[in-house]
Amino acid sequence: MTDPRWVGRSYETKPFAVTEQSIRDYMVAVGDLAENGELIAPPTYAMVYGFDAYWQLWTDQEVALDVAHLVHGEQRFSFERPVRPGDRITTTGRLTGINSRGDIELVTFELTARDEKGQPVSDGTALFIIRKP
Amino acid sequence: MKTMTVQDFESINVGQALPSLTKQVSVEQIRQYAEASGDRNPIHLDESFARSAGLPGVIAHGMLTMAFANQMVTDWLGDRSRLKRLQGRFAGMVLPGDEVTCTGTVASKDEEARRVVITLVVSNQRGEKVLNKGVAEAEFSTQRSDIHAT
Repeated sequence: MTDPRWVGRSYETKPFAVTEQSIRDYMVAVGDLAENGELIAPPTYAMVYGFDAYWQLWTDQEVALDVAHLVHGEQRFSFERPVRPGDRITTTGRLTGINSRGDIELVTFELTARDEKGQPVSDGTALFIIRKP
Repeated sequence: MKTMTVQDFESINVGQALPSLTKQVSVEQIRQYAEASGDRNPIHLDESFARSAGLPGVIAHGMLTMAFANQMVTDWLGDRSRLKRLQGRFAGMVLPGDEVTCTGTVASKDEEARRVVITLVVSNQRGEKVLNKGVAEAEFSTQRSDIHAT
């Protein structure tokens, strides 16, 4: 069981430099190849520029989430503006919930992504489910 | 490269179905997604690790399934910048070899705000839901919302 006292802990990514290559790699990986003039990242690319915030949470030795038994339960996004090559995006993730329910544990992580001018790019909420061994 | 056809707001009707999108999920695609996203959790890549964690084998990232739902909606919208909200619950595991189909229905339309809400479901080849409680919201602004005078 994860100690609920870690609720409130936050993690920030370094500015993520969005490149055409990174967007195209993602588009190929998910098979979403449509284009309409200028290159705009698929909205779920938020998972790429924000990934290091998730990674910092999963590898935080003090919080010590049982990542081997962790699965993604739910995900929500809101998108403020499209993402293009040249953007530099910083994502902050905050651990907002650790709740035990029967033989599972629910971990809530809320994320906010901003561009180099501090303007909002997207928000996300992830709910992770950890099955107790 | 596929070109998108831009969806016309006026012609959208509540209750209408979006064109469905079917994807075959392979070990190769899961690996590719792990590389592109950075998420190299061994439950997605290492068969014996996944089994030792109590899974039937490697599983696809939930966010790969959500990316398919995203694509179904943006292919229909014809413009990725119109998608304002996307959410879903990962209701079941997706394994290599599975064929998943995304379906969506226009649930509501706000003429003044020029917004539509779409409900989404992703099911596997056995008809089991792998993503449910899916919702997408799109805005059809009369001008490009992302361009600001500076």
